[in-house]
Amino acid sequence: MTKGFKGHPYLANSQKDIDEMMEYLGINDIEDLYSDIPDEIRFKGELDLPHYKSEYELLEAIKAKLSKNITTREVRSFMGGGVLDIYMPAIQDELLRRTEFYSAYTPYQPEISQGTLQSLWEYQSMICEITGMNVANCSLYDWATAVGEAALMAARITKRNKFIYTAAAGPNREAVLKNYVTGAHLELASIPYDPATGKMDIAKAKDLLDDTVAGIYIENPNFFGIIEDELDEIIDKAHEVGARVVIGADLNSLALMKPPAEYGADICIGEAQTIGGGPLNYGGPLLGVLAMKFDRRDTRQMPGRIVGITITSNEGERAFANTLETREQHIKRERATSNICTNEALIALSCAVHLSLLGPEGYKDTAETMYLSAHHVAEELENNGVKRVFGSEFFNTFVIDLKIPKDKKKEFTDFMLERKIFPGIPYSFDGETFDYVVTTSYLLCEEDLNDYVKAILEWRK
Amino acid sequence: MYRQAKYDEPLIFELGKKGRRAHLPPRCDFDRAKIKIPEKLLRTTPPELPELHEGEVMRHYVRLSHMNYGIDVGTYPLGSCTMKYNPKINETVARSEKMMYMHPNQPEETAQGLLEIMYELQVALADLAGLKHTTLQTPAGASGEYCGLALIKAYHDDHGETQRNEIIAPDSSHGTNPASTVMNGMKLIEIKSQEDGRVDMDALKAACSDKTAGLMLTNPNTLGIFEKDIVEMSGVVRDAGGLLYYDGANFNAIIGKVRPGDMGYDVLHFNLHKTFSTPHGGGGPGAAAVCCNDLLEPYLPVPTIDYDKAKDYYYFNYDRPKSIGKLHGYYGNAAIALRAYAYITALGYKGLVHTAEQAVLTANYAVRKLEKIDGFRIAGGQDIPRKHEGVLEATPFLRNYDVSGMDIAKMILSRGFHAPTVYFPLIAHEAWMVEPTENENKDRLDKYVEAVAEEMDKARADPDYAHHAPKWTAVGRIDSGWSVRNLVLSYKIMKEKLENGEEVP
Repeated sequence: MTKGFKGHPYLANSQKDIDEMMEYLGINDIEDLYSDIPDEIRFKGELDLPHYKSEYELLEAIKAKLSKNITTREVRSFMGGGVLDIYMPAIQDELLRRTEFYSAYTPYQPEISQGTLQSLWEYQSMICEITGMNVANCSLYDWATAVGEAALMAARITKRNKFIYTAAAGPNREAVLKNYVTGAHLELASIPYDPATGKMDIAKAKDLLDDTVAGIYIENPNFFGIIEDELDEIIDKAHEVGARVVIGADLNSLALMKPPAEYGADICIGEAQTIGGGPLNYGGPLLGVLAMKFDRRDTRQMPGRIVGITITSNEGERAFANTLETREQHIKRERATSNICTNEALIALSCAVHLSLLGPEGYKDTAETMYLSAHHVAEELENNGVKRVFGSEFFNTFVIDLKIPKDKKKEFTDFMLERKIFPGIPYSFDGETFDYVVTTSYLLCEEDLNDYVKAILEWRK
Repeated sequence: MYRQAKYDEPLIFELGKKGRRAHLPPRCDFDRAKIKIPEKLLRTTPPELPELHEGEVMRHYVRLSHMNYGIDVGTYPLGSCTMKYNPKINETVARSEKMMYMHPNQPEETAQGLLEIMYELQVALADLAGLKHTTLQTPAGASGEYCGLALIKAYHDDHGETQRNEIIAPDSSHGTNPASTVMNGMKLIEIKSQEDGRVDMDALKAACSDKTAGLMLTNPNTLGIFEKDIVEMSGVVRDAGGLLYYDGANFNAIIGKVRPGDMGYDVLHFNLHKTFSTPHGGGGPGAAAVCCNDLLEPYLPVPTIDYDKAKDYYYFNYDRPKSIGKLHGYYGNAAIALRAYAYITALGYKGLVHTAEQAVLTANYAVRKLEKIDGFRIAGGQDIPRKHEGVLEATPFLRNYDVSGMDIAKMILSRGFHAPTVYFPLIAHEAWMVEPTENENKDRLDKYVEAVAEEMDKARADPDYAHHAPKWTAVGRIDSGWSVRNLVLSYKIMKEKLENGEEVP
């Protein structure tokens, strides 16, 4: 026993408990329980960690460090990219703090876990309502890993090993996709976008699409915010050659836009943090969505947990349980559809609460505000000579042509920061200069939007 | 006595009525008529989301929460999952505005506080691991395994040994181990364990070849037994040109006692939601950290979080030409990392060591008491001390009374305790895997063992009682086969089935 133990709030036993348990085990020292570890590898040094802290000291120490951060509540954020600033209603956090939910494990014992299970089934159902699909899993880590999982799933379904994807998907999702498919040796090909419209180049996509292709990944609206409205031909061709169509959708846009299932998507993925899953949290935890059109064969290739309705053995009552578990690693090991185990369940529950609070009206309201705010800014900028890089229709994201040289980027960021603005996501088309991908949430008021325009114009002078 | 709440709680979709509102989001005054979505992409039917008022949403989820069981409700001795108390101060700090409202793409100079915390956590975890470098980008344990194995593969490829694509793991390993191996495009070579539950050295030697990429091994293993020959194993694997991966799921047993780096491991993952107290959330979010030595450092995912001492500045380093790339859209689960940081800070070094000691003591105490119940026997070497967990086999009970390990697990739910992990590891039969953690005191453990003994007595008298357990949970024994046969996976499917005149419970 290490010396000087005086009890700690996270440790359940007093010295007396410890002594009694040792007596039962017939040992004099807890060290006896470590006696089988060879001495040569035992750690004898002191770890370079400070002494314990009281709760008060801990709180103050962390607050002091965090105080150096500047948040999207202090500065107006025009950043999206796949995550979005949201407002979490008070009731949502109140429910997230229900310890019966957050201190529970994966519901492998369904009889005692109906709360988690029913709320996850309801979450899956809400995702289906939004995307038009009829089966969704109960979460992946984030949108980027969902692209990777969707590619692997398309390959398993079609038994093909080529996957093509839009280059207008942003750098992060592309990077994770590349990583995820290396093990399966999938061949990737990227479909360029038209530099004038920002839309995926349909002709090039058609060239790449043949009967060796497992799936095609398209974003709508894409990373540049552009609405892809000429997809019929390519989706038809994909289905003709037996490839699966994966649509990565901005889930807020689906309040106004046709759900992907209605225009030919087989699989729909996205990021549900943006529809209320939770705050930005510096990019994690997030909530990856993966939904598909139900198919008795193909659905068995889905990764991740799925909750289904079931019955109790004795009474035949309605209940909920994890289902199709033979896809998963704890049963199938090396033959599982994915290695995912721990997922983002609590964020899924949180998202379901948020969508229940918004209802169809609130969901549409927020999407409309995002759309109109973005269009207001774009229009004002355009009226003052700052053109959008791509002239096509967009939802709540657009790219502005600032061409800020690498060595001026910091100066620009500081300039905007002084005006309490995060100007957008810097994006380099030529590797040398930066344009900005600008996104509006529903939390910016008209004054914020006008300040943004003013600041950009001031910088241009 | 335990009585879980039971409500005939409708689906949230069944509770709504058109026109009710539960929340009013901010709304701008712009003219709605200005919205121009291309005609053919216009949504025509709104999604059927619930329509309730705020109070009703609250009730629905509060009722559902009553039909759930968490570590704050009672004992949760779930082997391999380390269900420890989630300190409330962690939840408080994670809800700081300075954490929640941080966009991952905001300029790094505006995130210095959080980057400092993440950097310090990286250093502390590397220290606990006995290794030097850390990434926090992996959002879960399986992602950590995927990352660590990818580092090993990248190392071999970089050294011109592309043929090294076999990962050796014992048959007692966690299910994610083989799954992560295959996801990395490598082959799993499963080796049999010895009678006592430890790795069979001869089998390991036989499995090693010039195709060996590495050995993946948790230590203590899933029987809760320390692989005392780890140094020799590490030599065998290393002589064959392979590297060693440590699955950190069982690290709670040995914090500060023995470090994976000192055992010869090259890389590991920690589950922050196991060892470092962050909530399991009903399945997630968790987070993993991957620590490695200098050999594997060049391949770590981009970006790494680095510190420029001269400028006292924390920054993302993307300039890593040999990196395996990205495993998450951003930097992993930062808000979970903050909780783990708070936990480590609250305990300090000595506190962490006490944590390991109490976790091991409670496990040995509980397992040795349970072992004395007629019908149980301990899996693996009899006299070897257990570490953070132990595995019992209910085979004698099944043979004598036709009552399975699962039946006993269900009976214990009736008593207000969570079941252990059952039927794992696969090398044990009718396995009951018990890990109380440092969160359980002696009195609780005594009550737990007493309850198990009493329930087994009842089962001896009436096996049918066991087959129909649990009682007093929100619902009785689940027939999960029904869900697979009928696949009612969403409200949409349910509506379709009802329209087709099919019955849905």
